[in-house]
Amino acid sequence: MPDATVVLRNATGLHARPAKIFARAAAAQPADVAVEKDGRRVNAKSVLSLLTLDCHQGDEITISTDGEGAEAALAELVALVESGIGEDEAGDGAG
Amino acid sequence: MSARLSGRPAAPGVALGPAFVIAPGPALTGFPETAGGPPEQELARLLGALRRAEDELRALAIEVAASAGEDEAEIFEAHAEFAADPELLGLAETAIGAGASAERSVVDAFGSFRELLAASESEYLAARAADLDDVRDRVVKILLGVSTSGDRPDRRSVIVARELSPSQTASIPVDLIAGIVTEVGSPTSHAAILARALGVPAVVSCGGLLAVIRSDLDVAIDGRIGEVIVDPDPSDRDVIERRGRDEERRREELTALRDEPGRTADGHRVELAANIGSIDHIPASVEAGGEGSGLVRTEFLFLGRIEAPGVEEQTKVYAEIMRGFPGYRVVFRTLDVGADKPLPFVERDPEENPALGLRGIRLSLRRPDLFRDQLRALLRASAEVAGDDAGHLAIMFPLVATASELRAARDTLRAVAGEEGIDPSGIAVGVMIEVPSAAIGAARLAHHADFLSIGTNDLIQYLFAVDRLNGAVSDIGDVLHPDVLSLIADVVDAAHANGAWVGVCGEAAGDPTTAAALVGLGVDELSMARVAIPEVKDALRHLTLAACTASVLEAIERAEDATSSREILEEAFARA
Repeated sequence: MPDATVVLRNATGLHARPAKIFARAAAAQPADVAVEKDGRRVNAKSVLSLLTLDCHQGDEITISTDGEGAEAALAELVALVESGIGEDEAGDGAG
Repeated sequence: MSARLSGRPAAPGVALGPAFVIAPGPALTGFPETAGGPPEQELARLLGALRRAEDELRALAIEVAASAGEDEAEIFEAHAEFAADPELLGLAETAIGAGASAERSVVDAFGSFRELLAASESEYLAARAADLDDVRDRVVKILLGVSTSGDRPDRRSVIVARELSPSQTASIPVDLIAGIVTEVGSPTSHAAILARALGVPAVVSCGGLLAVIRSDLDVAIDGRIGEVIVDPDPSDRDVIERRGRDEERRREELTALRDEPGRTADGHRVELAANIGSIDHIPASVEAGGEGSGLVRTEFLFLGRIEAPGVEEQTKVYAEIMRGFPGYRVVFRTLDVGADKPLPFVERDPEENPALGLRGIRLSLRRPDLFRDQLRALLRASAEVAGDDAGHLAIMFPLVATASELRAARDTLRAVAGEEGIDPSGIAVGVMIEVPSAAIGAARLAHHADFLSIGTNDLIQYLFAVDRLNGAVSDIGDVLHPDVLSLIADVVDAAHANGAWVGVCGEAAGDPTTAAALVGLGVDELSMARVAIPEVKDALRHLTLAACTASVLEAIERAEDATSSREILEEAFARA
């Protein structure tokens, strides 16, 4: 069961829009996907479950995947987090 | 007998009208606790109700996108996701398997998540608990066969409720809402955010409201100060009506300026443009009177992507943005990312110090494939819209520190234009001034550029050695600091001496006092958040260029710090 620990760089962490984008990306995977923070582990395909983790900018989360396409799923979701999940570090900050 | 109450201001403006009291939602206890049929049948009922709730919420999102905006529509997109949540369904399914009714199972499933969210210390998550209730009530109403469209007044009224859910707010036609007042709730609730987006005055957290309100009484509210008067007497009405007329006049004044060019009282032209971070921002920017864009943050096309967008996709988006601003200039900033905003398709080594690392133009020059694709797309988009009623292209390079970087970037642009058979001579090319070496070396850069655009946020970060995301130090450094104003004056002089114009595209440009100071220093264009444009436009039209210049020179000479600089400027502008 591959896993990876990443730091959330984007402004709102796993809240609001990024939570939705992340849950959708997880739901699109054939593999099971879990996210763990501070010892609590939830189904990453559930946006409600992700919200209960209350993940903020700078928090460390561990993504783990299991089953069909687990490695590819992990790589894709790690890349998504590293890309800022659709927003930048200051939300909508100017130049 | 009038009753005066006070609450928290949630959306500006005043309203006076009949109260329309929204009764609390249906009792969530009047449903069967156990299933009337086999579990499979009960599960099918639940699935049907969740699906319908999701469909209704997606439709509501589309309506709200049209009436309030895309950002507000996100609220209902999120609600739709809640209705489709697999873990929520899993919990409910287990309960149904044990014999519970669809209603009971879904109420308890929402309840479990609600508890987890409400227990959090975060105000944001606690506010989401109210969103969950909203979706839960919708699903239960669907299961019970009760209408989900909600109460609505038959004439324009002040909507009164203990608390308004976003879907209640959005389901009342906006022309029937004079104002909103609630007994609980916070200014950060989604209902308050919607009220602001719809331009409806609102007061929340107004204690004692429901004890004195009745639907046959009038109510007056002032959403700027949080005042609520139930059954106002004639003198209260006069005061509120006068404030309403003043606000209305102010709004009309600002709206009337929409198609007017930015200028000072004595006719000195200053372009007032909008910063764009998404295609969705364009209509509101035009509506606010934005004269083109002085900063299109092209990152929005790249962030959150596994692979870089292709030339074709980029061309389409850039052309659409240019078409959004007919007759105006649209300044595209080339990709500005670094180790702080890593992209999966840009391989790179980790950096100790990303703010000082391989980012902005440095990264573009090191990764010419990405850079060339973007320039190619910009050139093709410009050629595509040429001759149409569209805006015209300007290209700006971020984080330039030396003139040789600018020369290399221009060489790349020229080479790509040659490959495309496009003459680049009509395309303005500029650099961001956000590194101290660029500010000090502005003359050398201006020699090779058509314009310089000062990025105040990053410039201040680098000038004062302050990480602007670090709350412990972020109050150090400000654009109104006399030494920063003095540096900007030098940049403007250097640019003008070399035939280049100067823009400012940081957040500072959207503050009327700062904007006037920058104009006083000779800045030619200000690009800001779209909502700031009308106030800045209005402020500049009341000041002469000479007054702006005299005031800012006085601030540079007399001020010790940013605070005293602002005091001097505000006092001088009030006099002028």
